[in-house]
Amino acid sequence: MKRLLLAAGWLVLACQAQAQISTAYAQVLTATSQPVMARDGPDAANFRGSLVFLNYCVTCHGPMADGKGRAAKLYTPPPANLRESDKNAAYMRLIIRGGGKAMARSEYMPPWGEELTEEQIGDVIAYLQSVNTRRK
Amino acid sequence: MRTFVPSAALLALLLALPAQAAEHVVSQKAKNFSIKRLAVQQGDSVKFINDDPFAHNVFSLSDVKSFDLGSYGQGLAKSVVMDKPGTVEVECAVHPDMKLMIEVKK
Repeated sequence: MKRLLLAAGWLVLACQAQAQISTAYAQVLTATSQPVMARDGPDAANFRGSLVFLNYCVTCHGPMADGKGRAAKLYTPPPANLRESDKNAAYMRLIIRGGGKAMARSEYMPPWGEELTEEQIGDVIAYLQSVNTRRK
Repeated sequence: MRTFVPSAALLALLLALPAQAAEHVVSQKAKNFSIKRLAVQQGDSVKFINDDPFAHNVFSLSDVKSFDLGSYGQGLAKSVVMDKPGTVEVECAVHPDMKLMIEVKK
């Protein structure tokens, strides 16, 4: 009888351990099926866009995208505060691709269509929309 | 003596005239300025020629000379006069790796 009780106790412990392992395994599967940054999701586009912005746009529009870049002092009117922009994605794509002059805006905004790919332009628009305070 | 006087007068006239400002030409090619450093005299101009098949921009935020020549395409050129002595760092807004240092001498 004593042996029977001991065997039953071991069986209960083994089942509990197996259950814990199964739960942990299920959690790992759930976590890895949804990576922190999806490869082609909006977060990834925002991240890629931030890199484009910080490399090309930051000189005029500033690291905060508020129009206070180090070159802003050269221009009147000053570079646009992109955090408060009311322009939609289609307008942004046009002015980034063709430059300010093509859109009857500042001639000092360069045309980026020859330098940036369409994907980079899309990414930087996604980033600008993600930091836009009007959209929140 | 008859020939000396006119020659002396001509020499004096030349010395009295201000030095002619020079024009220095810098090419923009393969996303680079053709030179990294340039020494010019105060009053000289620097002409930037775009020899790339895409637009370039030339600007400087230096205290000595801050300017933006805007964006311009292949084969076009723009000039700027270096009217104060000092160091002028020139950049291209479209291509952040392009840098040129101009030393303007008095």
